[in-house]
Amino acid sequence: MKLNIFLGRRTVNMALSLMAFLSIGCGAVQNPALERARDAYNRARQDREIAGRAGVALDKARLTLEQAERVWAEEQDVTEVEHLAYLAEKRIEIARATARRRLAADDIQQLNPQRE
Amino acid sequence: MNTISEPYDDLMQPRTKSFRAWIIASLVVLFAFENSGCSTAKPPSEILSRAEMDLRAASEARADEFAPMDLQSAREKFEGSKKAMAAKRYEDARRLAESAQVEAELATAKAEAELTRRAADDLRRRLDTLRWETERGTIPTSSPASAKE
Repeated sequence: MKLNIFLGRRTVNMALSLMAFLSIGCGAVQNPALERARDAYNRARQDREIAGRAGVALDKARLTLEQAERVWAEEQDVTEVEHLAYLAEKRIEIARATARRRLAADDIQQLNPQRE
Repeated sequence: MNTISEPYDDLMQPRTKSFRAWIIASLVVLFAFENSGCSTAKPPSEILSRAEMDLRAASEARADEFAPMDLQSAREKFEGSKKAMAAKRYEDARRLAESAQVEAELATAKAEAELTRRAADDLRRRLDTLRWETERGTIPTSSPASAKE
């Protein structure tokens, strides 16, 4: 009887540990595509040229990234999250290109008075 | 037939009743599931036409020349979206149209950036030439010939 109780407690403890482990695991489950997009966004945000010259384009990337994070947290829909992460990365590239264009446009503006 | 089945009627009835209830419940669940699927996946016509517009804008921005890979990928996804739409795979069609749209936008952004950079480089080169010629005194505007006239 005592052995039975011991075994029972041990089983319960093991089950609880397993549940705790699984729940921690679930909380920490990450999506590689989402991680990559988040890293790319953080790098772009820290780049002064992009943040200063392509703020609106970068904001669009942030909104898409937030949508991907929401879908991942609420639905864990891998296909949709990967799709949204891809869109966010493309939007970051758009922000980079926009910053390059504005930089070149500023160069033209600065060079023009020298011409006169 | 009746004489054989009669003695088993009492035994069979609860089982057939629960079976019927189970079938009806399954059908209701299936109907609800299918219906919800239909309501979430609608034909993404609006996104598709936006993608088409952005593809046209990319061509006008000379993306064929300056961002050919992005433009090609956008075109392929646009075609894929149209095929998925025809096959009534609306979720696939939406995702492909969204990817096509953002890639077309990227192609435009890259082409515009490249064109502006080239314009800036060209202007800088011309100014350098002008400055060099001025320093050497070969510019007609500063020549004594115009003063003589």
